[in-house]
Amino acid sequence: MRGMDYVVKRTGFAIVTVFVAITLNFVIFRALPGNAVSGLRCQHCTKQFRESIIRQYGLDKPKWQQYVVYVERLAHGDLGTSTFDNRPVWDDISQPLLNTLPMVVAGTVISIVIGILSGVIAAWRRGTAADSLNLWTALAFYAMPTQWIGLLVVFYVAIPLGLPASGISSNTLGILSTPSEWAVLSDRFSHLFLPALTLGIGLYGEYSLVVRSSMLETLGEDYVLTARAKGLRNWAIVWKHALRNAMLPLVTLIALSLGSIVAGAIVVEDVFSYPGIGLATIDSLNHRDYPVLQGIFLLLTVSVIVANYIADLIYFKLDPRVTS
Amino acid sequence: MSELIQIADAPPPAETGGGRRAGFIREVMFGQKVAIVGNSILLFFVVLAVAAPWIEPYSTTKQVGAVYAAPTAKHLLGLDDGGIDMLSEVIDGARVSMIVGFAAAAVAMLIGGGVGLLSGYFGGKTDVLLMRITDYFLVIPDVPLMIVAAAVFGRSLINIIVIIGVIYWTSTARLIRAQVKSVRERVYVKRARALGAGHWRLLASHITPQVAPLLVANTVLTIATAVFAETYISFLGLGDPSTISWGRLIQNSLTGGAIFHKAWWAIIPPGLCVTIVILAATMVGQAMEDALNPRLRVGHLSVRRFRLRPLQGRLDSE
Amino acid sequence: MNARRLIAMTMLAAVVATAAGCGGGGAAPGGGGGGGSTKGGILRVGTTSYIDSLNPFVAIESQSYNAFVMEYPQLVQYGPGEKLEGDWATSWDEASDGLTWTFHLKPGGKWSDGKPLTAADAAWTGNLIVKYQAGPTAALAAALTHVTSMDAPNATTLVIHYDKPVANVLPQLEQFFILPQHVWSKYVGTNGKGLKSFRPEQSLPTVAGGPYSISQYQEKGTTVFKPNPSFYGPKSNAQAVAMTYYTNSTSMIADLQAGNIDFADQVPYNAISSLQGDSSFVLDSVPSSEVTNITFNSNPLKPKNRELLNPQVREALEDATDRDQIVKVIYAGHARPWANMLSLQSGAFWLNPAIKPLPFDLAKANSILDSLGYKKGANGIRVVPATTGKYAQPAHPMVYNMMVPDSLDFNGDRQFQIIADDWKQAGVKLNEQAGGDSSQAYGIETAGKYTKFDLATWDWAEYVDPDAQLSYMTRAQWYSWSDTGYNSPLFNNQYLQQATLINPKQRQALVWKMEAEIAQDRPYIELVDEDTVTANDKGWTNFYPDLNGYCKCYYTSPHRT
Repeated sequence: MRGMDYVVKRTGFAIVTVFVAITLNFVIFRALPGNAVSGLRCQHCTKQFRESIIRQYGLDKPKWQQYVVYVERLAHGDLGTSTFDNRPVWDDISQPLLNTLPMVVAGTVISIVIGILSGVIAAWRRGTAADSLNLWTALAFYAMPTQWIGLLVVFYVAIPLGLPASGISSNTLGILSTPSEWAVLSDRFSHLFLPALTLGIGLYGEYSLVVRSSMLETLGEDYVLTARAKGLRNWAIVWKHALRNAMLPLVTLIALSLGSIVAGAIVVEDVFSYPGIGLATIDSLNHRDYPVLQGIFLLLTVSVIVANYIADLIYFKLDPRVTS
Repeated sequence: MSELIQIADAPPPAETGGGRRAGFIREVMFGQKVAIVGNSILLFFVVLAVAAPWIEPYSTTKQVGAVYAAPTAKHLLGLDDGGIDMLSEVIDGARVSMIVGFAAAAVAMLIGGGVGLLSGYFGGKTDVLLMRITDYFLVIPDVPLMIVAAAVFGRSLINIIVIIGVIYWTSTARLIRAQVKSVRERVYVKRARALGAGHWRLLASHITPQVAPLLVANTVLTIATAVFAETYISFLGLGDPSTISWGRLIQNSLTGGAIFHKAWWAIIPPGLCVTIVILAATMVGQAMEDALNPRLRVGHLSVRRFRLRPLQGRLDSE
Repeated sequence: MNARRLIAMTMLAAVVATAAGCGGGGAAPGGGGGGGSTKGGILRVGTTSYIDSLNPFVAIESQSYNAFVMEYPQLVQYGPGEKLEGDWATSWDEASDGLTWTFHLKPGGKWSDGKPLTAADAAWTGNLIVKYQAGPTAALAAALTHVTSMDAPNATTLVIHYDKPVANVLPQLEQFFILPQHVWSKYVGTNGKGLKSFRPEQSLPTVAGGPYSISQYQEKGTTVFKPNPSFYGPKSNAQAVAMTYYTNSTSMIADLQAGNIDFADQVPYNAISSLQGDSSFVLDSVPSSEVTNITFNSNPLKPKNRELLNPQVREALEDATDRDQIVKVIYAGHARPWANMLSLQSGAFWLNPAIKPLPFDLAKANSILDSLGYKKGANGIRVVPATTGKYAQPAHPMVYNMMVPDSLDFNGDRQFQIIADDWKQAGVKLNEQAGGDSSQAYGIETAGKYTKFDLATWDWAEYVDPDAQLSYMTRAQWYSWSDTGYNSPLFNNQYLQQATLINPKQRQALVWKMEAEIAQDRPYIELVDEDTVTANDKGWTNFYPDLNGYCKCYYTSPHRT
């Protein structure tokens, strides 16, 4: 029953971590004096306007009361209301999130595909020029700042080829006539392709190296040697035996790299004017819109905690000895 | 050239006895081609950073020509969006990037090394408590945290160094803890303890020297992470405005419109420098760590994987 | 430019005549008066500010206000030359005591859902705003300062009652957006709170009485304005206007060059040179409403570095500031040295001609500071001798922090560098302290309480009417709009007085006096008055680059060539 213990322990840890995150989330945004409203500066932000907002959000109450209210509301699934645009936080976050998800998923898929292909080839051709080339290419892309890759993509790919390099859809699509679903879909795809490619290039290096190393491990093992002796074709050996084993560390790695995917997405969205969760973060930061920032943080933190939790469980499934 | 990431045929684990370790480091640092190249690159940029005020051809605050003037013999990397010499800015940028890289890595080394030493040496409740804290830090997504901290505490060089250092100490702590745990069980440490050496004496003169090489190797890797993180912070406009860093130059090239001025000279150099430095630090750190502790070799490519926990479980079970 | 304005005036006159004559039942050929305009096409606008809300009680960003101008009838609006003109109102009368204003409205207008647009809508909106001005409707309450009630004796007459004479009734009413009662009344409830949670984007197209309703709304993407066929005024030349938000101007300019947008509403100063050589674009440079400045903490009770309160020191620092260099480097020439607290947009009537920027003169700066006894130390930095009395200070070097916000539309860091280099030659050292707009407001007001900061650089986007800008210098605006802590009892009284002077000449004289007081005391060293630079594709013409957020013609007027 050591196994069950382990699972229970990890679950407990994940739950406690979420609470720590919630508290940290509250504290860090309220560490400084003042509130969202005192910094509001716009043509129409009169004293009256500000005071009405302060009262509406209870920002005039002591901080501990604000914390209690915050936790209570969270328990009811209420993320609060934006102090900037007065919309429920969830409404402010959900659209950017829906915009970001396909881009991030596409980027991850691109990175996995390039990572696996290059990793497999490098492992299979170990010690050759192709292996070295892949190693250094992967390391180089891995060392490049994502935003810089984005700039290069805009400069050397998007502009010369006339590909869309900003926004999420064409500005005239569907204004004068209702476009077909296919047109909408391909428009969306053409806008998310370059950001996703940028993200993918920035992430693949690490995956490639991991696939290569795990492949090398398994390629040396007895059953692979046996398979080879049995005269199985190369690709069959790679696919059926080596790669399958190599996938396991890769999957864990991907689950764990959610944090860095998010980090990449933030700067990629900035370069490509892509209205996703990264831009929403930067915007709410500029407006000191605490409720929205807290919402985004909570969302990201919980996602990462869950991803870690899943990775833990995968470890366990992989190798029950991990419990120590 | 692939000794860097060789898994299946990695060198045998280093002899873990005391005196030989330092020699081994020397051997790695000066014997392996990769480490030599990496060290030379790092050294080059350190010299560049230190000598910046004397070797910059032009002032980094004065306009010397037209906006985005193309490279000429006088201005090898052309001018930027304010008509300022790009070469001088790139040299100046080395300063901040290297300061942030080394200083933040040092902060991470102090915190991570300290936590790792205490946790590993004392064990028990201290260990549980410290490792629990480490776990929380590991799980909370670092980049958003970094962004908010930089915004809340203000844009200054010191803040950036502290924020990066405080966020990236965790993997160091775990690594050092594991190492300390094994060192403290060694015969000569036990003997010293039996002879009545106090905790601090043991830590200072027996344990620390044993884990120091690993700590250094890990710190070199953290330099790469810190330089990388600085470009993020600066790119999002949260860097120190009174200084020029490579991250800021990358941001400038976007906001200053280098793209539609077709000014490749403003876009490429800063990013290339970042890439080279990160590559160099990764090469050196990786070579050292591989040699010292081959079991961890996969787990520490950590520039982008801000939060990866070392894949010990998996690899230990081989 | 002149020709274009002339066409527009003709156009407007023609339409007003049509509307008055035949009731404007949708037959008016909007914009046709200038002749030769091609109708149709989608006008694709690029911008770097977004519509944060379609609800006028909530919105903050200026782009939202541009949308309200397009959607909702206003009594008056600013037309070409920043002159107030009738929008929905054709004429107005003012009672001799200044307490009652009567507006005569164009008849026959309709909301975009076909319901009639009448003075009752205006009276309902006005009374609603007045009723909840301390709460839900606070955002729009400034337009109706001192209004007690409104009534609509008939469909085309609106009467507004004031509790005291107000000097700037029309400029205030320019920001009074008239909402469709039949849509909004269901959200009032018992306390008006529902008004703020109503989200017009949830049932598109919006119900509009202006030239456009919004048929698609993406906060950070493209918002589509479709013409309202029953609009009472000159109708849209374009078949639709698609306004796209860009997070950075680089993407916007790249899209302009790629032919994906037709008009960029603000070209960054550093992009101008890259577009100038390209014959497929027209660049327009017009005075904007923005004035940039160096802000001094002017709270008379500030505890430290009190030498900065001395107007002579401030004058010396102005002498030591090279505005021409700032204009050249930061604005690529698209700004002018400026000294008045009001912007050029306020016009000759309000601008005191005696206030002029001092020329760059380091020698004079140094001699003033020398004469004050602030001797230069070994490092070239001046030292202020110790003082005695209530605010005694030890001797200290002239080294100050200057706050620089990062969300300016120009390169604030570079501007700081220029100022710091200049002042250094006068023996004054500056350190940069950066932060966003809100952090800066924090530092000055909330956390600083007007005691902690010394200097900042900032800018004001101003109204045409001087009232608002003058109010920012009063004690009443501390912890709200005041960013200087300036507090002069004389000025405070003059401000209240000018607000009630309904004789424009008398008000002008007083306002000129107030401008001179500020120029003398220098709570700000005003730096430059900025231009707004716009760019449009040659395929379109008839733009009013200076009327962004002011005039319905900003979107209705452009047409294809």
